[in-house]
Amino acid sequence: MKIKTLLLVLVFAMVSVVTLACNKPKETLVIWVGAESATFYQTQMDAYIVAYNEANDEDFPYIVEVKPVDTGTAAGVFLDDQEAGPDIFTVAHDNLGRLVAGSSAIAPVTLQALIDQINNDNPASFQEVIRATVGGTEYIFGIPYVAQSLVLYYNNTFLTEANVQTWEGIWGVAKAQNKRALTITGTDGFNNSFLLLSTRVTDGTTSLRLYQNGVQEDTFGTGDDTISVLKWGQRFFMDSNGAAQASSSGWEVELKDGLTLSVIGGAWHFNAAKAALGENLGIAILPKFTITAEDAYGTVAAGTQFQSGSFTDTKMFVMKKNSPKAAYLQDILLYLSSKQMQELSFNEVDNLPAYKNAATEFTKMQGTSIEAKLAAAQVEMFAYGIPQPFGFQARYNVYYYQKGAPDIILAILRNVDGSYNTFEQIKARMTIVETIWKTGQQPAA
Amino acid sequence: MNKNTQETKHPSFINRLFQSLSQSLKKGFSRLGKSFQRFYDRFRDGSTGTKVSHLVMGFGNLTRKQYAKGILYLGLQIIFIFFMVSSPVVNSTPFGWKSLGNMITLGTEAGDLFNPTDNSMLMLLFGVVTVGIIAVFIIVYLSNIKSSYATDLRLRKGKEPTTFKEDIASLFDSRFHVLMLTPAMIGVLIFTVLPTIFMILIAFTNFDSDHIPGQHLIDWVGFANFAAVFSGTGEIAVRFVPVLTWTLTWAFFATFTNYIAGILLALLINRKQIKFKKMWRTIFILTIALPQFISLLAMRNLLSLYGPINSALVNMGILEAPIEFLGLATSATTARITILVINLWVGIPYTMLMTSGILMNVPADLYEAAQIDGATRRQAFFNITVPYILFVTAPYLITSFIGNITSFNIIFLLTGGDPVVPGYKAGQTDLLVTWLYSLTIEESDVSIGSVIAIFTFILTATATLISYRRSKSYKEEDAFQ
Repeated sequence: MKIKTLLLVLVFAMVSVVTLACNKPKETLVIWVGAESATFYQTQMDAYIVAYNEANDEDFPYIVEVKPVDTGTAAGVFLDDQEAGPDIFTVAHDNLGRLVAGSSAIAPVTLQALIDQINNDNPASFQEVIRATVGGTEYIFGIPYVAQSLVLYYNNTFLTEANVQTWEGIWGVAKAQNKRALTITGTDGFNNSFLLLSTRVTDGTTSLRLYQNGVQEDTFGTGDDTISVLKWGQRFFMDSNGAAQASSSGWEVELKDGLTLSVIGGAWHFNAAKAALGENLGIAILPKFTITAEDAYGTVAAGTQFQSGSFTDTKMFVMKKNSPKAAYLQDILLYLSSKQMQELSFNEVDNLPAYKNAATEFTKMQGTSIEAKLAAAQVEMFAYGIPQPFGFQARYNVYYYQKGAPDIILAILRNVDGSYNTFEQIKARMTIVETIWKTGQQPAA
Repeated sequence: MNKNTQETKHPSFINRLFQSLSQSLKKGFSRLGKSFQRFYDRFRDGSTGTKVSHLVMGFGNLTRKQYAKGILYLGLQIIFIFFMVSSPVVNSTPFGWKSLGNMITLGTEAGDLFNPTDNSMLMLLFGVVTVGIIAVFIIVYLSNIKSSYATDLRLRKGKEPTTFKEDIASLFDSRFHVLMLTPAMIGVLIFTVLPTIFMILIAFTNFDSDHIPGQHLIDWVGFANFAAVFSGTGEIAVRFVPVLTWTLTWAFFATFTNYIAGILLALLINRKQIKFKKMWRTIFILTIALPQFISLLAMRNLLSLYGPINSALVNMGILEAPIEFLGLATSATTARITILVINLWVGIPYTMLMTSGILMNVPADLYEAAQIDGATRRQAFFNITVPYILFVTAPYLITSFIGNITSFNIIFLLTGGDPVVPGYKAGQTDLLVTWLYSLTIEESDVSIGSVIAIFTFILTATATLISYRRSKSYKEEDAFQ
């Protein structure tokens, strides 16, 4: 009797499983966004579906699931298994090269309303880096929705707003207090941009070129101004009260314990900086600095003032190529990247908008909160930076970041064994850096 | 005895290695020849049923009323043929016979913005899997002939063909090893052999950051990636030898420092004068109980620039100012010595624990006999304890050495491969395996990474074979039983 009952239960279970398996569930439309925004965008998508259902005779045909995936690694994760990837995901714009390489893994924007919104709402610098040419035709692939740049986090118990106008101002206080003026959070090509992307204050120019207009060979890092700036940077990094990379204890500890007076970071460093300094946290744009007679080289005269630069980037939504839900994706993106949604996102989760007039039109931007200051400083830095120009080809990003050039630049700045005392030595080493940027390899000996 | 005679009697290690290799090759060819001979003999000598079984699997069994077995073989053949002919498609890439062709071309459709590109890596993978399935099918095919022929022999001896029930029963009796080993062998094939072959094949392609599967077609490039290790100005050519040298140095010191220190600690704890032995052992075992990465991260924090160890050393006047010990150290030697010392902390307890067990099991009569013969304690130690420990722990020593060659955690978590060598990805504490991680995960240079993986495999396999075959544990397997 017991065995019969058991068999019946088993048969019932099997039939149930088969019945459930045959009953096709509603498919899921998957969106990946950064962890900080996942809940926000899920809420907005729930609202979108309600609005869609009210406006149409039929229900929205998919369940929409917004998943938190780190934006920095999303492109790599997606490319590892494109079939299993999401329908929409967010990446920093410099990933565009590898996403559209060859026959492209993402779909172009074709909905005219979305193209118009992108063209009307975004600064020109963003519009250049969201396009790519595939099969001889240029398309828009990315839909900007967030912007980011480097700013200065500083300890306002030691530094005033006047001090942080120039690196020399911070350096002077550091010497007086016997502290370090600046800690850089990392040594990669993003962090050294505060020196490499410096521009003359008088006319905003620099001779530095990185993959200009997407051309690999149009890369130049050995101009007089670059060498002068590096020489200035060398003095800054070699002084015990100047700049240094974060120690093994971490920049947060150094900032918290008052060992360093300032840190260069992005919005993603904000929470840690705030935790370290609390009310004593100040935020400003990256300072200026002045070339001395010791640093003047070639056409760059002593007294020339430079403004520290930054990569000023955008994060963008992209769509999977050949998604079976393609018919619905662009309308969703029209909604998610709209000006109203960007303002809401800034108000609720502090995402710095990509919208070009955000600084003047968004109410919260006018406030005095530390978050508003962070946004304002980032927006201001957009005047002194360029978006990372690596989206044209997959290899540019790798050549710039991964092939050892940042470590060579740091070695020049630290000059530990005195190998880079002269301008010629610096220039010779920068020639190697330039070759790495162009070819991914060091030049033959 | 002259030198020549000595060489004849004791050929050098290299000579013996070559002799051993040539003997293995001879044996292999001989076995292969015998297999073909058996195949031919069975066909010639077998009944009509057995002969037909060469074409229609299970036919010989079916004609002898071994229906279950025959249907099983026939079913497998039909499934195999269906699989090969229908070439089922997964993720737009076919298996079956089409995958064999794709494995050679690695795809032909370059695709465009609106049409898919052939996924070369999936094609290679599916090709390898299909080859694996064919290999398994060949084994089943041969087993079908063997089974039919075995029935022929039984009939000739006047016995009845075995029933399916008897065949199943034999799997739990005389052929129990087959039952037990088959799942293991299938597991090894799926999870070890096929991925290894796949990885080796990738080393002969141009799969890198410029060739993304599904977006570009990937091509075979022959030995170009291997040549890159020995020529050019690239990362691989410049950094391979330094990284290999440090990998071997690390493996040697990490193994022997742990081994010797572990033995000494065990000897110390086992001394009669030491009280609370269990407590001491427990304290050291606690480091095993903690997840290793927690110990390593704790160590990294303790050793950080403004951490407690630096503070203590400065306060004691040993250091004038705090220094970086790990990835940011100004000298590679400092970082290397530090990780070796930290490795002692996480490694000694294992050796101590094992050696304690061994020491407690050294036959007491050996020491008694030595004492009667007038041996001193020192002589007893060096002539009984040490050889006994060495004998029992030789395989552990070898696996430990191999494990240290591929020791990823300790380097990745403590230094990340740094201090950096400006201009290159591989830092001064990078091992082959951590370098491999950087090349594949961070740079997507998968083909070059595969070359490094092959070299690592050759290195570890050779070291294992040589050291194990030369150890007493291998040569005198029964000595201490």
